[in-house]
Amino acid sequence: MSTHLDTFSYDDAIVRKFLWATFIWGLVGMLVGLWIALELANPAFNLGLEWLSFGRLRPLHTNAVIFAFAGNAIFTGIYYSSQRLLKTRMFSDGLSRFHFWGWQAIIVAAALTLPLGFTQAKEYAELEWPIDIAIAVVWVAFAINFFGTLAKRRERHIYVAIWFYIASIVTVAVLHIFNNLSLPVGPLKSYSIYAGVQDAFMQWWYGHNAVAFFLTTPFLGLMYYFMPKAADKPVFSYKLSILHFWTIVFLYIWAGPHHLHYTALPDWASTLGMLFSVMLWMPSWGGMINGLLTLRGAWNKVAEEPVLKFFVVAVTAYGMSTFEGPMLSIKSVNSLAHYTDWIIAHVHTGALGWNGLLTFGMIYWLAPRLFQTPLYSKKLAEYHFWISTFGILLYVAAIYSAGITQGLMWRAFDETGRLAYPDFVETVMKLMPMNWVRVAGGTLYIVGMLMFGYNIFKTWAARPAKYDVPVISAPPLAKVYVDPHPVPAGTGVWARFTGVHWHRNWERMPLIFTVMIVLAVVVASLSEIIPTFLIRSNVPTIASVKPYTPLELAGRDLYIREGCFNCHSQMVRPLRHETERWGEYSKPGEFVYDHPFLWGSRRIGPDLARVGGKYPDLWHVRHFQDPRAVVQNSIMPTYAHLQKRALDFDGIQGRVDAMAMLGVPYGDAVNRAPAMAREQATALAAGIEATGGPAGLGDREVIALIAYLQRLGKDIRSAPVPAAGGTP
Amino acid sequence: MANKDEDRLLEHEYDGIREYDNPLPRWWLWIFYATIVFVPLYYVLPGRLGQNGGNVAEYEAEVAAYKATQPVAPPTISGERLLALSKDREALEEGREVFTKNCVVCHGVDGGGVIGPNLTDNAWIHGGTPSAIHNTVIVGVLAKGMPSWERLLKTEDLDHVVAYVISLQGTKPATPKAPEGVVDTVAAAPPADK
Repeated sequence: MSTHLDTFSYDDAIVRKFLWATFIWGLVGMLVGLWIALELANPAFNLGLEWLSFGRLRPLHTNAVIFAFAGNAIFTGIYYSSQRLLKTRMFSDGLSRFHFWGWQAIIVAAALTLPLGFTQAKEYAELEWPIDIAIAVVWVAFAINFFGTLAKRRERHIYVAIWFYIASIVTVAVLHIFNNLSLPVGPLKSYSIYAGVQDAFMQWWYGHNAVAFFLTTPFLGLMYYFMPKAADKPVFSYKLSILHFWTIVFLYIWAGPHHLHYTALPDWASTLGMLFSVMLWMPSWGGMINGLLTLRGAWNKVAEEPVLKFFVVAVTAYGMSTFEGPMLSIKSVNSLAHYTDWIIAHVHTGALGWNGLLTFGMIYWLAPRLFQTPLYSKKLAEYHFWISTFGILLYVAAIYSAGITQGLMWRAFDETGRLAYPDFVETVMKLMPMNWVRVAGGTLYIVGMLMFGYNIFKTWAARPAKYDVPVISAPPLAKVYVDPHPVPAGTGVWARFTGVHWHRNWERMPLIFTVMIVLAVVVASLSEIIPTFLIRSNVPTIASVKPYTPLELAGRDLYIREGCFNCHSQMVRPLRHETERWGEYSKPGEFVYDHPFLWGSRRIGPDLARVGGKYPDLWHVRHFQDPRAVVQNSIMPTYAHLQKRALDFDGIQGRVDAMAMLGVPYGDAVNRAPAMAREQATALAAGIEATGGPAGLGDREVIALIAYLQRLGKDIRSAPVPAAGGTP
Repeated sequence: MANKDEDRLLEHEYDGIREYDNPLPRWWLWIFYATIVFVPLYYVLPGRLGQNGGNVAEYEAEVAAYKATQPVAPPTISGERLLALSKDREALEEGREVFTKNCVVCHGVDGGGVIGPNLTDNAWIHGGTPSAIHNTVIVGVLAKGMPSWERLLKTEDLDHVVAYVISLQGTKPATPKAPEGVVDTVAAAPPADK
């Protein structure tokens, strides 16, 4: 064994950068959230501006808080803790900086493109293809930097926090790449290569695991470093770490389909999603237990230390939302909660509680160490803790009751067996008081965020003129490892297994460890993906379902641009109250040409799966112009700009061609899409004018959107009456 | 939970962090096993606890059960009764409310017609007898965008709104739409009208 000592230093400058980005983007993301909460409470807050409408801003809010706020928080913690846990500086300072600036550039690109309506229409994967490529490049740079650091570590074994980081890094890469496979149609427009049921499956495989591997596993890793550090206590149980880590990694992947209960997704997938979600309950709680029990004997410290208070409530929120998750995944519970605000309350318990408070605690702990001066005000941090905790309670209490109210009203029948609330707007109006309470709760949380920013800023302002960079010395790893505690010979198989010595071996072989994670994730994924794509009976074809006409396709793209899917579902579930309200339940075969699928996940407005032919064309014209003139109390933003903007007929050819390339049987339309679109638009506009509507709509965007809406859900009616919207 | 700080500490240490060799909490492990055992059980258990034949089968059973207990009988009301209601102040007030909430978008605030036809003149596309109007409201004119209101409105609301429409006969809307259909008079309801 060498007695030589390496000397080196940690790169804390990069950690400080990520810390500031966390605060700034967090504030931006939360303010956008507050704004859209106001829009729900009063549509006047849409200001009549298309790029501030709910449909455009909601993805900005979710992307900003997930990838900008939580993302930068993860990187802050990973860059700080990994160097220390592995006793080495990051592999490459250049890659660290590339990662930092690349990630911030992606966030700026998101903040510009989403309000402008460039979106793939898949939740948390809205960003268009060039940005997706940039994300992949930056993520790979991060991965190289991280695994390079692992390779040059001076600590033989890798600690549980590092396991979670590895799982997050490799799985996010896999999820991101496979969900975003799409065919570009222009610089900022693409179509998902998957359609309908398969696209929905891939999206929620991704969407659910974005929650798992972006908002859960990295934060568990952070908890495993910062909780014992701040409490100065050993971790409760190493064995629990091992079991809950592997079960989380393996089981989470299967759970995605629980986002699609009662949809056109086949039953078997939905059932697997539910069963694996239920099995996930204890693995998730393993993390909570290991965190909370680490504080045994340190509860007196919690009373004095705001950092620990933040951690305790964060971990408790994690426990609550990971109990609620499995519960919501049970089909009968889900049938009530799906499409309602209940889901919004659920994710905010997780995001505001678990991710937010853990981040605040971590940064309060880090700030004095990074800025090398005591925290400006512990008292202020204490106030921040109370105000944000109270804000969360207010927020989720309001939205839980809103969600349950909504769900119960939708399914209520009166004594004659009719819907008790057939008027959808009535169920929207009922939520208004709760919407305002939510605004109040969110405001409190943001006030806390400002107190946090001020506290960190003042701490930074008191930093030394020059940061002290401590020189660390540690021996490099020996070429050959001699196990000081080999397993005694002759031990039984079960004793060997539960003795977890085998796992200890893996921990000093990060490559094997990573391969095992990839195996777990890939095996779990393929077990659902392969049958989803290969079993033909999953999607029985319906002969009368035809591709959208070129004009309808252009209208569908406008539906995507305006983010209509953020408030309107297109999926009637096979439940009696649904078919009473919306019409025949949706069949898998109806979506075979839907690249991407647009089933939606929420009903702020009514379902549109069967809206085709429900209202006259002129109704739609007026409704887009001023929704409240047509539907009293509607909270929909105005879409007057659709009547002013000219429709890009010539661009339609490229879109049709791309769809044809994806296998949509377009026939003649591949040669003359613009002409066909013009014909249909002219006829439609003439009809609108004849019924007393405005003239000259034939070349406006609104005509395409109306054509699309009038087509929705009509193909399966075996058509005794010829369709008015014009089928191809 | 007594002072477990006496638990055995593992020897390894990372940046000052140490770990205990504590066993898995018993209750945790048992609940975890239970959720695993639930998986095969779910496939074999009958009724609400189990698969129950799948979503569509469950739905069809729900609809069949509903139909069995609630035989489909479209709401009926006599023409005379509707005519009587059209002179009843309270019924008209109720009817006006229903009309304002649901009908004005297409028929105008004063029934003069917008997207839908004028309801104040004596020209009717689908018949102008009280029963014919009632029937049109119930069945709808789907091709033209008039929904079927049968399941969207309560029975008495249907009656009241039809009464209100009858009462609009001969009123003078601000911007009347040209008459459509054939002349029919609500007052001349034939006695055969049930």
